[in-house]
Amino acid sequence: MRAGRHAPGYVARGKFADPWKIPFREMIPLKLRTSVSARGDNRNGAFCVQEMSVLLACMKKNEFEERHCSTQLTSFQKCVSETEAALKQKKAAARRGDLAPGEKKLSHHQVTGLLKKYPG
Amino acid sequence: MLRGRLLSVISARQMAMFGPEFKEPHFRKSELEELQKTGEISKIGHIPFKAAPSAATVSPLYDPLLEKFTNYVMRKGEKQLARDLMAKTLQSVKRIQVQKYNAAQTEEEKAEIEINAMKIFHKAVENCKPLLTLTPVKKGGATYQVPINITAEKASFTSMNWLIEAAKSPPKDARFYNKLAHELINAAAGTGKVIKRKQELHKQCEANRAYAHYRWG
Repeated sequence: MRAGRHAPGYVARGKFADPWKIPFREMIPLKLRTSVSARGDNRNGAFCVQEMSVLLACMKKNEFEERHCSTQLTSFQKCVSETEAALKQKKAAARRGDLAPGEKKLSHHQVTGLLKKYPG
Repeated sequence: MLRGRLLSVISARQMAMFGPEFKEPHFRKSELEELQKTGEISKIGHIPFKAAPSAATVSPLYDPLLEKFTNYVMRKGEKQLARDLMAKTLQSVKRIQVQKYNAAQTEEEKAEIEINAMKIFHKAVENCKPLLTLTPVKKGGATYQVPINITAEKASFTSMNWLIEAAKSPPKDARFYNKLAHELINAAAGTGKVIKRKQELHKQCEANRAYAHYRWG
């Protein structure tokens, strides 16, 4: 219930609206939605930092000629491809709304799915 | 949610010429033979395919990487000009290498000189691919250049773009195709401007390695 310049109807200059006399209208339903927004959901941290620093250290030692660092490079690339595949799978599962037992951090898809299932 | 669903029904992207059910065409003879050998061809017999691009050909001289490079060289849609430039570049590479070959005194020296221009082109593009890249990440009011992994497509594009930029850079004392030919030969040998540029990027990545865990703020 809001008084002042947002009150419905005309209020004469120098007067003010009595909040108890303003008819209440429900503009949006007075209950919580059964969904959550997707804001702040797409944060994923850095990965393969260890492998990257090993590769960079090797490159620095060999004056940035990467042919001396092929083992470090393959281990870094393997780590990246594996992590990316795992993240992709996880994202797809979260999008489908699959729930793993004992999962602590839920995606907005999962939370929305749960709220839709058990509203109220 | 609804919008996503509708879009996925209508097409993958707005303005897309073909819907998501259309698969990439197989126009090369080797590809078709491979499909026939694995028996994949009977599975894909009745699914829709995109139209092959106008530059597609069954010629054994067709090279996907060269096609890509030609498209990167192209400006304002002048494909014929880009193709001519690439042909002249490869011709120039061949001339330079054959000259070296003929000037070589001994058989051992001759054996070391690569005179296949396409092999030099492939090796040059491969040698110029960066292993890491830097991405700006805003954190606490400051922007950090954070080293991250680079995808295969991005590395390939970066390599070719650097080669083209090096060939276009001043001084403009020679034709584009001659400068590009020299850049390709140098890059294939692991020397030259573009290799230096790649190493500069790697050095910057090394200097900023402390920020590696900052990825995505």
